[in-house]
Amino acid sequence: MRFKTVAIAALATLAASATVAQARDQIRIVGSSTVFPFSTTVAEQFGKTTSFKTPIVESTGSGGGMKLFCAGVGTAHPDITNASRRMKSSEFDKCHEAGVTDITEVKIGFDGIVMANAKDAPSFALTKRIIFLALAKDVPDPNGGENLVPNPYTKWSEIDPSLPNVEIEVLGPPPTSGTRDAFQEIALEGGAKTFDWIKAMKKADKAAYKKVARTVREDGPYIEAGENDNLIVQKLAENGDRLGIFGFSFLEENRDKVKGNPVDGVDPTFEAIAAGDYGVSRSLFFYVKNAHRGVIPGIEEFVAEFTKESTWGPDGYLVDKGLIPLPDAERSEGAQSANAFVNLPGV
Amino acid sequence: MFLWIAVALLLIIMGAYYTGRGRAVSSVSGNYTALHSLPSYHGYYVALWAGLPAFILSIIWFFVAPQVLEGIVLSQAPESVTSLPPERLQVFMADVAAIAQGGIPSQVTPEREAAAEIYGSYLSVSNWLMFAVAISLAVAGLTYGRARIRPRLRARNSVESMVNLVLIICSTIAILTTVGIVFSLLFEALRFFARVPFTDFLFGLQWSPQTAIRADQVGGSGEFGAVPIFAGTFLITLIAMFVAVPIGLMSAIYLSDYASNSVRSVVKPILEILAGVPTVVYGFFAALTVAPTLRAWGGSIGLDVASESALAAGLVMGVMIIPFVSSLSDDVINAVPQSLRDASAGLGATNSETIRQVILPAALPGIVGAILLAVSRAIGETMIVVMAAGLAANLTANPLEAVTTVTVQIVTLLVGDQEFDSAKTLAAFALGLTLFAVTLVLNVIALRIVQRYREKYD
Amino acid sequence: MTDTSILSKTDYHTSEQAERLLKKRYRSEARFIFYGRLAIICALLILVTLLSSIFLQGYTSFYQHMAILEFDLKQELVDPQNTGDPEVIAKADYRTIVNNMLREKFPDVTVRRDRKALKDIISSGSDLFVRSAVMADLSLVGTRATIAVPLSDDADSVFKGFIDRTLPEDERRVKDNQLGWLDQLSEEGRIESRFNMTFFQVGDSREPELAGIWGAVVGSALTLVVTLLISFPLGVATAIYLEEFAPKNRWTDLIEVNINNLAAVPSIVFGLLGLAVFLNFFGLPRSAPLVGGLVLALMTLPTIIIASRASLKAVPPSIREGGLGVGASHVQTVFHHVLPLAMPGMMTGTIIGMAQALGETAPLLMIGMVAFIVDVPTGITSPATVLPVQIFIWADSPERAFVAKTGGAIMVLLSFLVIMNLIAVMLRRRFERRW
Repeated sequence: MRFKTVAIAALATLAASATVAQARDQIRIVGSSTVFPFSTTVAEQFGKTTSFKTPIVESTGSGGGMKLFCAGVGTAHPDITNASRRMKSSEFDKCHEAGVTDITEVKIGFDGIVMANAKDAPSFALTKRIIFLALAKDVPDPNGGENLVPNPYTKWSEIDPSLPNVEIEVLGPPPTSGTRDAFQEIALEGGAKTFDWIKAMKKADKAAYKKVARTVREDGPYIEAGENDNLIVQKLAENGDRLGIFGFSFLEENRDKVKGNPVDGVDPTFEAIAAGDYGVSRSLFFYVKNAHRGVIPGIEEFVAEFTKESTWGPDGYLVDKGLIPLPDAERSEGAQSANAFVNLPGV
Repeated sequence: MFLWIAVALLLIIMGAYYTGRGRAVSSVSGNYTALHSLPSYHGYYVALWAGLPAFILSIIWFFVAPQVLEGIVLSQAPESVTSLPPERLQVFMADVAAIAQGGIPSQVTPEREAAAEIYGSYLSVSNWLMFAVAISLAVAGLTYGRARIRPRLRARNSVESMVNLVLIICSTIAILTTVGIVFSLLFEALRFFARVPFTDFLFGLQWSPQTAIRADQVGGSGEFGAVPIFAGTFLITLIAMFVAVPIGLMSAIYLSDYASNSVRSVVKPILEILAGVPTVVYGFFAALTVAPTLRAWGGSIGLDVASESALAAGLVMGVMIIPFVSSLSDDVINAVPQSLRDASAGLGATNSETIRQVILPAALPGIVGAILLAVSRAIGETMIVVMAAGLAANLTANPLEAVTTVTVQIVTLLVGDQEFDSAKTLAAFALGLTLFAVTLVLNVIALRIVQRYREKYD
Repeated sequence: MTDTSILSKTDYHTSEQAERLLKKRYRSEARFIFYGRLAIICALLILVTLLSSIFLQGYTSFYQHMAILEFDLKQELVDPQNTGDPEVIAKADYRTIVNNMLREKFPDVTVRRDRKALKDIISSGSDLFVRSAVMADLSLVGTRATIAVPLSDDADSVFKGFIDRTLPEDERRVKDNQLGWLDQLSEEGRIESRFNMTFFQVGDSREPELAGIWGAVVGSALTLVVTLLISFPLGVATAIYLEEFAPKNRWTDLIEVNINNLAAVPSIVFGLLGLAVFLNFFGLPRSAPLVGGLVLALMTLPTIIIASRASLKAVPPSIREGGLGVGASHVQTVFHHVLPLAMPGMMTGTIIGMAQALGETAPLLMIGMVAFIVDVPTGITSPATVLPVQIFIWADSPERAFVAKTGGAIMVLLSFLVIMNLIAVMLRRRFERRW
């Protein structure tokens, strides 16, 4: 009887969907893809060593994570968001508007941004100034004088004769990436500042200064290469003349294929970044929604696990994953305020 | 609660079916031929009467009840609550619901608790009321339907008109999806066009979405001319079609008219694997295998091939859509009646002449449909181009240079750092909408062609 | 074809000109067949290239190297009160047992830094393996037991030949002292290559040697079930309506254009739709196979509709006329006679659609399925990820060993695809007919 089969199938489907709408009993984390490897490692460790379920970590990008995090309070919204930059004031306001008023900020460490190329290619002794001259949209007139011209350089050797005589080709992240933001802010602007007259612009006209100091050229040498850093590594290994911009942890894993180039005479090594000697690095954060504490099981314990010395300290397991730890003092202070769930007063 | 209602309703419906069927049989004392419709139609008839009104009521209740509940709570809330701005009010209501149902409120205040109490009490009233009403409606429907059963009842006609209605509703899902897509794109796209003039977007030759998305960040020029990225999309699609159409069509023809059954039954599913390889994998293949090879070949004959050349992405995309062309054309070619082949052979035509002059013309509308489906896939394909095509917009017809596509831009703009009040993120929605419009026009044209030349054989 | 009127009737078929023409026609026939073969060979060659590149990349993920070591399962560490209670034994500190074993095996490693390097040669999940070995055989408590634990991903790749020993030490993931210890273990015959069962048993992990595909497989299965349950009936019903019942007017034209157009909408836009409708409007849970299935169903709907319509079209009108002729109603004709004949074609379309859904990543990006999920999903609302997303996540992970895992996952995905296709072939073979 066909009717019978249909009816029984419908009943079975209903029974299967009976599990819908149970309370959430595991932590949900969203946010930056840069923090993702660290967050997931802690999540897994947390799931293994405690009786709590393993948290779910989504990679949504810092901005996307903030948007979800600030959407409201309740089981439908995430408990923690990762970010490769600080929360913006506009995001903070959105959070408050939606009732997310009690937030704890935890700074977890640094991530170095490296300029790498194929291992057997010539090494580039870079400085921030060279990076600026090679990649900015407008650069100071090479003939001297305090005026800007559209970037005329096509070969590295034109910028500095000691550099290899190859075309400038740099694979870097697209404008929507947090890595790109950090790169522009630290490397490009850092290079622009070495020109006194550009630096002087900052006081006169801040907007114009930023435009000069942080705009990336769009005439070809800077190639936007998507967010998949493994792909960039592969492409570098195939074409020795190119440089690539990506996170330190990818350099660590691929030392046999690519090498990091020194910036301002400092090689991108673990020690140099941790000590703050290597100039191009940024801070990583996560934010906790305190209204969920005590309701979603395990949030306090998760934060405790993350801020343990054996996790984020110099000998912790996150270091193996490529995290550059905070200095000792900042770490112990951070652990204290994190575990006390100090509310973020504003940004 | 909803689960229990659904289970109870299902049981009643089952009961209704057997009641109706039994009554129909007994009304003619087992003499089936005296019935206008088969007994099972009488069963379905009563089941519909029992199930449908209750089902519709539940759906309406599901959407209306929360609104009513909110209204009741607000009407009893103090002035300090009702005067809140809309977004605060939303937070308030979410908190009230959370307190009443044991969720997480953002804060607990006396007003919220008072409101939650009211909310909770009305919620349980509403649920029980709904249960009672739905069940009684079902039982009433059953009784009514059962009472109407008599031998002359045109049960089949009623059931069939319901079937027709269900089919119509199913076909409108496609329309609803479109409406949903348009609405999820439209508002953000309009906000984009408020910032960037429509004509600049449509006819601009520069694409560089680098506006600053926050106050302390400085972007580039922020040009939003979509011509180069649409040109890039069509270039890559064209290359893909140059690969997919000959290979796909020829293999379809060979498989349907030359290959032995055993070859056909092996090769066809193998080809279909090509459609199922995840696009991420194709992306890696294009970026890491095809592109460097092309570059090396180009270099050896003195051509300058970009690492992210349109050719690499297009070739690999063509490979991906071979099965779309071949499988669907194969089905269409198979559908041309054998009698046409026999007739052609009887006139002395060779196999290839039959195919070229009889079968292909007969199957053409279907083949065009298959190719259009493939073109659509190519235009909408995302991961291959994300990995293998470039990101920089470049207005060129040279397949050796890097171009970017609409989907690449949409993904890049949406997956990265978003800000929904900047033209940069909003541009993704505008692009999506434009792409939607472009393919719509293409499809309207295609439909006209197919309708005009379609033939029916027997 | 060509003008033959100049020939007289008798030599119409035998003249030299006719022979030439015939030869030409045969040649063109041969050419045509050759083109057909060429096309198929091309397509197959590409497939073989693709598959072999995947295989070469991924086959190493199916085996892994284990270290067979002797662990001292001291009573006071595992079960101090000698309760014999599995719950107590499960909670014992196996990490210390693993550390004790290393200290005992390599007593001369004393510097802290070296000890850490030593610990890094076996998997950080070794304690779990010791625990499950003990749990499987409680009589081991208090004895010295030989248990196989996986090597760490870096050590594993030494034995898989991915580490070039000639490189300078600081460019290698495995240092000289680690190589020394590994060689020592290997000489003692304590390293063994085994089939990687873990890969097929567990969910994701951050440690490549502990990561598995099972969570994603279950997630994919759940998602596809939802997709199939929704898109197949909906797609077939739409196709039947449009092909058999709908009057030809502007409304049905509109629907038709719409459906074709939906096939071209970039898949990420469906993700946006899913986010707006299913998550924000209906409040369904994030990362759930239910939502993923709904989104993918909407996405595959056009493919299924178009294919179903094509196969309905292929059923000759005589079948319908015959049905109507013996007194069946229109609905009965369609459902009892036309639909069964069109089913094989519909299945083909559905399988293509399902295959496409199985390999899709982009729309799931927007609804939270690109996530790190360790637990194997248990239902359509529990958080889950799917195979292509797992591939996407692994492809983006810095650890080198995930490259092989990516290849392995792709192979698993492809084998599912092959199975699906085999089912389709069987269906087709049973039902296909030519009119």
